Amino acid sequence: MIVCVAIVGHQVGNLANNPLYIQSFTDGDDALKLHHVVHCSLDVVDERVNNPKKSGPMLNETYLGLLYPTENYKVYGYLTNTKVKFISVTTDLDVKDADVRNFFRKFHAAYVDAVSNPFHVPGKKITSKTFAERISTIVKAFGLSSAG
Amino acid sequence: MEEYPDELRNPPVALISLVGCPEHHPAISSYLHSQQHPINVLALPDFSKVPVVLAKKVKDSGSEDPPGGILKRDWLLKHRTKIPALVAVLFSSLDVSGGPTQWLQVCSDLENLKAAIRPRNVKLVVVVVLQSSSAELHADGNNEDRMIALKKRAEVDSKYLLMYTPNDVSELKQSLDRLGNVFSELASAHYREEGRRIRTKVEKRGYNFPELHMRYCFKVAIYAEFRRDWNEALKFYEEAYRILRQMVGTKTRLPPIQRIVEINSVAEQLQFKISTLLLHGGKVLDAVQWFCQHNVAYRRLVRVTEAPYLHWEWMSRQFLVFAELLETSSATMQSISSFVVGGTDGTLTEWEFRPAYYYQLAATYLKKKQSSLEISLSMTDNSSEVDSSIDSVVPSTYVGQFARLLEQGDELSMQPLSDEQYVQYTLAEGKRFQDSYEIIALLKRAYESYSSLKAQRMGSTCGLEIAKEYFFLNNYVNTKQVCDDIITLYRQEGWVALIWEVLGYLRECSRKLGAVKSFIEYSLEMAALPVLPDTSITFLGFMESGPAGLPSLQQREHIQKEVMELFGKDSRDGLSAEKSTDLRLTEENPLNLEIDLVSPLRTVMLASVAFHEQMIKPSVSTLITLSLLSQLPLSIQIDKIDLQFNQPQCNFSIINKERYTSTTMISSVQKSQRMEKASSLVLTTNRWLRLTFEIKSEQSGKLECVSIIVKLGPHFSIICRAESPASMDDLPLWKFEDRVETFPTKDPTLALTGQKATQIEEPEPHVDLALVATGPALVGESFIVPVTISAKGHDVYSGELKINLVDVRGDGLFSPRETEASFLDGHHVELLGIAGAEQEGKSQGSYSNINRIQQSFGLVSIPNIKNGETWSCELEIKWHQPKPIMLFVSLGYSSQEKDSTSQKINIHKSLQIEGKIAVTINHRIMLPFRRDPLLLSMVKPFNDADQLVSLPLGESNVLIVSASNCTEIPIWVESLSIETDFISASSSCCIKPGSGPESTGSTLLVAEEEYKKVFTVKPEVDSAPLSLGIVCLRWRRDPGHHEPSTIVTTKHRLPHVNVEVPTLIVSSECPPYAVLGDPLTYFVKIQNQTPLLQELKVLLSDSQSFLMSGTHSGTVFVLPKSDHVLSYKVIPLSSGTQQLPKYSLTSSRYSAGFQPSSAASTIFVFPSKPLFKGANDRGKNLESVATI
Repeated sequence: MIVCVAIVGHQVGNLANNPLYIQSFTDGDDALKLHHVVHCSLDVVDERVNNPKKSGPMLNETYLGLLYPTENYKVYGYLTNTKVKFISVTTDLDVKDADVRNFFRKFHAAYVDAVSNPFHVPGKKITSKTFAERISTIVKAFGLSSAG
Repeated sequence: MEEYPDELRNPPVALISLVGCPEHHPAISSYLHSQQHPINVLALPDFSKVPVVLAKKVKDSGSEDPPGGILKRDWLLKHRTKIPALVAVLFSSLDVSGGPTQWLQVCSDLENLKAAIRPRNVKLVVVVVLQSSSAELHADGNNEDRMIALKKRAEVDSKYLLMYTPNDVSELKQSLDRLGNVFSELASAHYREEGRRIRTKVEKRGYNFPELHMRYCFKVAIYAEFRRDWNEALKFYEEAYRILRQMVGTKTRLPPIQRIVEINSVAEQLQFKISTLLLHGGKVLDAVQWFCQHNVAYRRLVRVTEAPYLHWEWMSRQFLVFAELLETSSATMQSISSFVVGGTDGTLTEWEFRPAYYYQLAATYLKKKQSSLEISLSMTDNSSEVDSSIDSVVPSTYVGQFARLLEQGDELSMQPLSDEQYVQYTLAEGKRFQDSYEIIALLKRAYESYSSLKAQRMGSTCGLEIAKEYFFLNNYVNTKQVCDDIITLYRQEGWVALIWEVLGYLRECSRKLGAVKSFIEYSLEMAALPVLPDTSITFLGFMESGPAGLPSLQQREHIQKEVMELFGKDSRDGLSAEKSTDLRLTEENPLNLEIDLVSPLRTVMLASVAFHEQMIKPSVSTLITLSLLSQLPLSIQIDKIDLQFNQPQCNFSIINKERYTSTTMISSVQKSQRMEKASSLVLTTNRWLRLTFEIKSEQSGKLECVSIIVKLGPHFSIICRAESPASMDDLPLWKFEDRVETFPTKDPTLALTGQKATQIEEPEPHVDLALVATGPALVGESFIVPVTISAKGHDVYSGELKINLVDVRGDGLFSPRETEASFLDGHHVELLGIAGAEQEGKSQGSYSNINRIQQSFGLVSIPNIKNGETWSCELEIKWHQPKPIMLFVSLGYSSQEKDSTSQKINIHKSLQIEGKIAVTINHRIMLPFRRDPLLLSMVKPFNDADQLVSLPLGESNVLIVSASNCTEIPIWVESLSIETDFISASSSCCIKPGSGPESTGSTLLVAEEEYKKVFTVKPEVDSAPLSLGIVCLRWRRDPGHHEPSTIVTTKHRLPHVNVEVPTLIVSSECPPYAVLGDPLTYFVKIQNQTPLLQELKVLLSDSQSFLMSGTHSGTVFVLPKSDHVLSYKVIPLSSGTQQLPKYSLTSSRYSAGFQPSSAASTIFVFPSKPLFKGANDRGKNLESVATI
């Protein structure tokens, strides 16, 4: 089950690695912890980006794979060509890579639609309710597919 | 890792025992220790010790009983330190080959030893110590027999009967090598046999209990380690581990909690062994994977509901130990990325190869342990009972088991514990330790490790955990320090939730520490964080947000209220004692909060200042708009705003009219300042408070708003750095929010271009500065440029006049080409001085401080000039070269007396002045009329251009010097003279003015006019070359209407001449004029100055105008030093200017011809005898004409 998804802006000049969108899907008390988990995962993204793997098929890969496991979670990452990072935190121990890939692809599509809104200012937080609903649906769908 | 016993941490080392001949034990021991594969030595000096050491406990219980535990605690230690793999018995060769008594003793020792080692299956080596090499030499048949007998008795192979020669150095090395080889071979054989023996048990399933199975596997692995068979060791450790996993859940006589504890302990040991072996074998990837499996397998094993802390503690230890193992082996590790790439299916990530990751998790589990221990402790209220019952609990025989030690008389016996007792024991143990320090230590290691990996965010998370622990320990100083470090990153990256959490800790720490300033700072920053109402839903789940509370609008408002109360209340206020007595703002302890451009508090108060005009005239007022913005959730009432400028006299204050009465404290200093009143000064969230006022300044230059001081309450003020709207940065954090952005000023253009500074123009000068030049300047003269300063409007104080001479062509007064020339004679144009005020005598003093820094620069201070008065001076400039220059004169002064700070007023004037040469001087040297000396140098075919003019010795030559005015300016020539250079010249040459009438007084020379003067030059000494001297022309500019100008001397050097002795001098004589029809005589006189006879050919040509008598051609001989005169009588036939018959002379000696010039042979013929006025004067006048 995905417990948290986040979009983190790219770092250009003064612009920081600031969260553009972060949403947790737990009823528990770990929302803040998930913030930390997502924030820490940026270190891994940085490391992956700075030390790209030499092997061929990974060259233009946007999907970064498993970033790191914590005691309870697994963190997956995805990096768009514009260096926007997508992070998802799951509690599942065994997740198929293809499922995560698929999830991120949908996530990315939703993001592209959201920022294509002419009223959206690039670099600002995404506050669109439609986007939030769409993400929620995607997350639920992922839960069903991975459970099934 | 430190808590593990040594025998577990280090790989086992083979152990042998030495018996007999104790004096040789140290040498052998140290040798065996230093080997590549060291062997430990158990040295037994005495044979009697052997049975004690090797005694085997007789198993009292039958094999049907279940074993008491899995692994015996001391088994490994026993094999490492007590039970040798082989016993080497040392006999002295003297004893062996000695008498029967000695031999018998040897035999009995050997027998006893054999009996002792047999049950342990320990190998035997017999070493005969050769006491001396001589003894060996004396070996005879008897000795040989003894050896054979010894071998038989010992029942050893002949290769295990060794000789040891300690006395011979070379032999010693060899025998030690031999011993070492045999020992290691036999030890390894022993361990192999032991291992095989137990392995057979495993394979034949010769056990009834899984404990035994596991134990056997463990033993096999240990034996394999003894002989460094790592692969087999690993295999059996893994097997043991697998069996152990299966044992989870099986029932034994142990109570369930202790059972799990035992299994965990054993699993821990096995895991340690496996990880160590894998890591030392360089199989980092395998080790990490193995650890992952281990972690997964045991993580869920929280079966002990009564004591969950035991599980968490154990988990924590697993991670810690693995982290330490990884850290020690990571030095030899290759780059991490190679592992990550190296074929994993993406299940392992970079961090799992880093010790930091494991340290962090160890800390996390320890934290869990701490909290669950606290819960357990809180549930047991009968603490006194706990303490008494578990005093004597000690670790028991088996790994992971505990028992009570009971004293029954002299004997000690172990009594098993019940689970309750055990839990109580662990609780008591847990109370003894402060886990927090351990957690902090672990986190610090993780933090350092992450920092070295440049993983800042991971490090910050660890830092926050550290801070939480310190906070838990009430160590607020450390908490604050750590939080201050990590919040920077969060601020930079704009993670609001994380900032909120950290700020919460910081705020509480400041409150606890009584630091008012930081408490207010953190509180205000928190209150101004962009936690918006709609996003608070996202954060509903926050429970762990620490002292900050939930990030919500309500909480922000609450925090702001709390701080605002602090501002509003006075020390007299009763409320202050209510919450925290330490935090108060008093009159003695006011607080000024500074907010600069990078402060995180910019969200609290942002001050933008814009002048409406970029440039204003002095004393003309302009508008200034001050805009304040705050993101605090509640509106703020401002008491007073102070605007501070770089020109303090412009500072002014804005007072809240509503609260003016309440804030009565306005100091006397402030009273002198300008005060503005505003109807209401309320700052609402995210809305600009715009205030526009007039402002003017007297002082020219930059007027910049520096800071804005906003006063809230009696003792609190915020000092904001003023920002220009044009160059204002976005608000930190808020810039990411989707919010309405407004301009700081109403006018959008001003919002984009407004500046916090404006330029005030200089005051206009009311002074005339006049420069007058009368035409071009002449080279050599002191050219006067009058400068007039007239004050028209205000007074001039402390004025300074700067004068600059600049070459018009821009290349300075030196041009590179002329550098050398100008070096010789100084500047081309030179400022000589500044002279003369006209009226004021007192200003004489001011001339003394003319500061001539350069020849082209001057500085003069001028006296104070009252309004309407005039002051003037004259600049004296001298030209050395004809050059146009630009004269710059600038006057700087102040219009107020005694006001050094007031702005200086500057006026600049410039004037271009041409420099011209006044006169050019020429000269000409002529020979006397109708007298031509033959100079040999003229005959010689020299055609050098630079050949000097030759003058005949002793003859009077004519020198004409002419000076012509080459400017348009009339000049007066005072005199023209020739100065000879040196004294000798006066004797060698006689120069005197011509005999003409001496002109007295000066002569006016207008443009293009020439002034001539004639001199006679008579060389008196035959010395070549001869200097004629320097022409000095003294002249002055025609003053016109002005006063007479100074006299200038222009000098012109005459060229050198040659002086030669003439050989022949031909002079012709004839009357000055002729009358038509009157005969006249025409003489040609030839003087021979040489001591030689001169032959000359004379040729005379006829002339139409004259009738002539005499020879036309002929040859004459002139005697040495004598004259010869040719005379011709001619009658003029026509009047007017006529040519006399021309003669020509040719000197055969010098091959030189001579013909008089046509001028010399011209005569004027009157038609009739002219009538002159005075017959007496006539001859005189004519004479003078002729002789010239």
